[in-house]
Parts: sequence; C-alpha cells; structure tokens
Amino acid sequence: MQLNRRELLAGATAMALASQMGTARAAGAINYWHHFASQSEMEGLAKIIALFQAKYSGTKVTQEGIPNSEYMAKVSSAVVAGGKPDTGMVITERFADLVAMNGLVDLSARVKAWPGRSSFPDNRWKGLSQDGKIYAVPAFAFVDWMYYRADYFEQAGLSGPPKNFDEFVQAARKLTDPSKGRYAFSMRGGAGAFKYVIDVMEAFGSPIVKDGKPAIDRAAAIEAVTFYSDLFVKEKVVPPSAPNDSYRQIMEAFRTGQTAMVWHHTGSLSEISGALKQGTQFQTAPMPAGPKAQIARVAYAGNGVIKEDNIEAAWQWVSFWGEPEAAIALLEATGYFPASTAALQDPRLTSNKIYDAAVKTLDFGRLPNTFVGAAGWSENVVNPAFQSVLTGQSKPADAVDRMIKGLDAAMR
Amino acid sequence: MDTGSHLPKTGMIGELSETRYWIYLLLLPSLVIILLVIAYPTIYGMAISFREMRLTRPGLTGWVGFKHYIVMIDDPVFWVALKNTVLWVTFAVVLELGLGFIAATALNRNVPGTGIFAVLILVPYFLPNVVAGHMWALLLDPRLGVINDVLVRIGILSSYKAWFADPNTALAATIFVEAWHGFPFFALLLLAGLKGIPYDLYRAAAVDGAGPIAQFRLITVPMLKSVIAAAVILRVISLVNSPDLLLILTGGGPGDATQVLSLYAFQTAYKDFNFGYASALSVVMFVILMVFAYAYIRLSKIGQE
Repeated sequence: MQLNRRELLAGATAMALASQMGTARAAGAINYWHHFASQSEMEGLAKIIALFQAKYSGTKVTQEGIPNSEYMAKVSSAVVAGGKPDTGMVITERFADLVAMNGLVDLSARVKAWPGRSSFPDNRWKGLSQDGKIYAVPAFAFVDWMYYRADYFEQAGLSGPPKNFDEFVQAARKLTDPSKGRYAFSMRGGAGAFKYVIDVMEAFGSPIVKDGKPAIDRAAAIEAVTFYSDLFVKEKVVPPSAPNDSYRQIMEAFRTGQTAMVWHHTGSLSEISGALKQGTQFQTAPMPAGPKAQIARVAYAGNGVIKEDNIEAAWQWVSFWGEPEAAIALLEATGYFPASTAALQDPRLTSNKIYDAAVKTLDFGRLPNTFVGAAGWSENVVNPAFQSVLTGQSKPADAVDRMIKGLDAAMR
Repeated sequence: MDTGSHLPKTGMIGELSETRYWIYLLLLPSLVIILLVIAYPTIYGMAISFREMRLTRPGLTGWVGFKHYIVMIDDPVFWVALKNTVLWVTFAVVLELGLGFIAATALNRNVPGTGIFAVLILVPYFLPNVVAGHMWALLLDPRLGVINDVLVRIGILSSYKAWFADPNTALAATIFVEAWHGFPFFALLLLAGLKGIPYDLYRAAAVDGAGPIAQFRLITVPMLKSVIAAAVILRVISLVNSPDLLLILTGGGPGDATQVLSLYAFQTAYKDFNFGYASALSVVMFVILMVFAYAYIRLSKIGQE
C-alpha cells in the first residue's frame, strides 16, 4: 500500500488526536500498587474497586499486584527512576523507609477534614504517621494470634492452648512424635523468621529500639534466642526443615497435619479454614506470654498517596478504603480485620467465636517496630543470624552480637 | 521488474554511501544504544560505589572515596559470599559442561529419534529461572517432595531430608538444580560445534589406529576448544550475575550458607536500600569477571589460533 502526502498528514493528525484523547481519559485514572496475591485477596480488591467505581464513576482505578517480597524493591526503583504510581499499599514495618525515601505524600490536612476520621482512634494512625504528619489512611489490621489443632490437643490430653512459654514447651513435648512425622510447632526459620525472633526477644524483656536509638538488651536477647532456637536444636519439637521454612512451608505443615501449632495473624484465617474445620480441627488463641511480656502485633495496613499528579482522585481512593463498606467487603472476602471501629461493630465479626482471640489481642497488642532501616536489618541481619544458630553454625550470643552490630550500622 | 539499480545514486546519502565513512554511519545507531544502555549505567554504577547513596537516608550523600571498599574488607558476609560464588560457579559450570558434552555427543549420532530428544533436553533451559526454582523447591520439599519419597523408597534415605535447610547440603542442592537448568546451554553450543567437525578426520584417525578415546582427546576436544571457551565464559558471566535461583530456593540461607555476591548486592540494594555499598559489591564482581575472562582466554590460547 502506498500513501500520498495528504493521506500521510491526515493519518498523523488522527493519531495525534487519538493520543490527546488518551491523555484526557488518563486524567481521571489512577493506578494502585499493592501486594495482595491470594485468590481471596484479589476477590476482596475487586469488590472494593467495584464499590469505588460505583461511588466515584469519574475515576478509574488500575491495580497492579507486586509480590510482597519484591514490593519495596519495586517502589524504591520507582522512586529513584521517577516512575511512581499514584497510590500504594503501606504497612507499618515499611512505613519509616517509605517516608525516608520521599515515597509518601503528607495527607494530614486532608485527614483532618475527612468525616471518616472519627472512626479511627489515635492508635490506628500511630504506625502511619511521623513527626505529627499523617501519610496513609488505615484500611485493615493484621492481628497476631496462634492457630492450634484442637483435635491433636485433645488426643494429647491437653485441656487448652498454652498461655505462656512454659506451657508452650510442655505442650510441644506432648504433641511431638517424629515417628508419625508429627511436630508440635511450625517454626518460621526461612524468609520472615525475623518477626518471631524479635517478638520473642521483646517477650524476654529486650527492646529493639528506644527513643529512636538501638536498645537491644544483650542478656535478655541471648536468653530469648536460646529459648526460641532450642525448640529446634534441643527440644526437636519443630520440623527439620525449619531453617528454610517461610510462610508457605509453615502453613503447608499446619494444613497437612504435620504440625499442631503455628504463629501467624488473622490474615491466614481464610486459607486455614479452607483446609481444616473451625472448632473441631483447629482453633485460635492469643499468643503465649513470655517471661516479661505478652507480645502480639496489631499491624495496621493502609494506603498512601505516592505521587501528587492526581491527588484528588488518589485521595478519594485511599480514603475509600477506610469506609465501612470497603472494610466489610474485604473482611467477607479475606477475613482481614477492619481498622475502622465502625466496621468492627459489624455482627459478622462480633458473632463469630473464632475472632475472640483477635479481639482479646487488640487490648494488649503492640505495633510492629518501625524505624528507618528496619526492613534491611530484619531480613539481612536477623534472619541469617538466627538461621546460623538453628544450623549450629553459631551460638545465640554470637547471633545477638551480630544483630546488635547490624542494628547500630542500620540506624547510623 | 525494474529494480531501479541502473539509476544513478543521487543526493547526499548516495554520495556518502560510496565513502569509507558509510560503515561508521551504519554503526552509529548501535553505538548510541550501547552507550546509553550499557556504558552509561556501568559508569554511573561505578561512580555510585564511591558515593554514599542510601535511599532511606537522603541527607547522607556525597563522595566517600574508597570507604565502601574498605568496609568490604572487614565484612565477613562479603568473604563468605565470595567463597560461595567461586564454589557455586565452578561446580555448576563443570557439571553443566560435563552433562552438556554427554548430551551433545549422544545427539550428534544420527540415529532415529534424536530430534525429539534434542527438544526434550532443551526443555530445562527454556524454563525461566523462577519457574525452575519453584519446581525444584517442590520436588525437593521435605514434606511433599517426590525426590525425597523416591530416595526413601529405594533405601538411600531413612527419612525425608530438608536439603535446603542444612548448611552441609544447601549449596550442593542448589548447584544440582542449577546444573539441571543450565546444561542444555552447553549441549546446544557443543552440538553445533560437533556438527562442524569434518567426519574425514575421524576416519583418518581410525585408519591410523586411534580408538574412540584418542579420537575424542585428539580431535573432538581441540576442535571444540573455541566453542568450549566461549560457552564457559558466557555461562560464568551469567551465573555470577544471576541470583534469582538462589533467591527462590534459599534466599542465601540457612545462615549465609548459600549467600553469593550477586544476591548479597541485590539484598543490600533492595532490602537495605544502600545503593553505594551494593554498587561497590557489583564493581568487585565486574572486576573479578574481567580478570577471569582475560586469564581464561590467555590460558586457553584462543587468541593465538
């Protein structure tokens, strides 16, 4: 086919017009980065987007899922390269790093003027605020608790879940039978191990950071790492694969009956409910208390504005997640706890006994540690240091020393 | 059909195409792309290694000279990662080369069915590292893994083994997976090389009394020397620079048992957000690779042939 000059000019004009139309359409569109991955999470997200589009028909939301482990890598690359999304998911543990790299927009003025603000007590904002500025709107909460096999406990003659670490070890001994391939506890020793190492350290009385400075109590931390690693090294109440077990493996072990207890949060309820029967096969309980404190995290996850280009539409989207209708849609699809007190009064939540442990935990649960450098220190220092104790490559004291040195370097 | 070839060339391009500058003009687009996509990022990356660049500390910035390199000397993880990198690359390449040679020699025999086998042998290489990693993580899983099950059934193991959780087996297990994934690369290149060796050479050697081993040693290996050298260099570069398989299988653990330089640089950049130190680690990898490639080419005497 040959084009003459007139046809070529007409084509070029049409293409230019079409590109302008595209730009005009994009003005009412925002994109949203998140780390939802499971089918239930994606169903919940689809419901929220549908509800949002029904309310704000002029704004189109395009979602992009990023694997949780790669989320910060992608966001930091976007910040450096200038390809930031309009909005994104923010969890407490990553909040300080995101603010430090100028990855979030200050929303304080908008939050103050927002009618939905009254449904969020001050503690909801704590993990998403810094220096008096609010950078994200809370959407849902992950409440730590323990899942246990009610049927295994009954078989072992145990009357109920352990309330403290001593009872935990006693129960673990009774529940372990390697000849049957059964172990008491799904220990997370691979990716994400740091979370429970830090929790046990705090349960033994060692803070991590105090007043913005490293504050690990060496003696208490050694005691904690010794106790926790001994579950694998001496007590052998943990599957032999523990040093490499991450979320997928610990859940698989619990769901397939290899283990009798697993520590996680409310976010995995729907997955476990899909494999085991609530009440008869599994139950939930608050995390057992350590010698100095009962540690369970209540981590509020929210959404923030990352790029200001479409700030009005972006604010509509992130604040919509805080509305009860969005929170309940997510709860129904995933079981994720709402952050808003208005949504917490919903009968679907209050009438379900399985949530009792989470409701109790709300009274004493702590926010996760959040400080600049937390992610790097947790994953690059705490994980390998603890794994090396599990595998006999180092002693608890060496591991704690490595953690202290790494924390100093991270916060310097 | 009139191709127009008899028409005189007119205009500046026509005149330029007759000069010796034409070839440089044709190379210009590639050169510009190379400068933008390869040279600029490489030089920029090297420059960052002499700067403080931590995304979570925007205030900390500026030139720091050799600070990151000095820190590296006292960093125990760097030395463990360097040792593991050497082990990981050496054993993986030796295994892949050996398996590739066997596969290529077998495929070079023109017997019926080799076409199908050639495609099947290439399948592991077609799989993305991420897919291969997850597949082998499942195959070697200590709870559900088929391989553990088979080994227990035939009596090699008494119980399921957590291959990636034991520092004594973790690196070996990852090398095994890498060898499975990478040997078709060698098989493909060596097969192409084998096809280029004239059969008359083997016939003449046979007449002179050379057996299969002597033929392999005196004809096959020398004739494939350039192919082997090129394949080894490409594979070493690829292995040193690609942490993805290890990232999926072990994340560098347990402890630092499978930590390699590329993974350490990745984690330093994207978990610590310390791009300065990560760049210094990458520069060290770059220098090691350059030295290796130079030494390997010199020792294999390719340039002299």
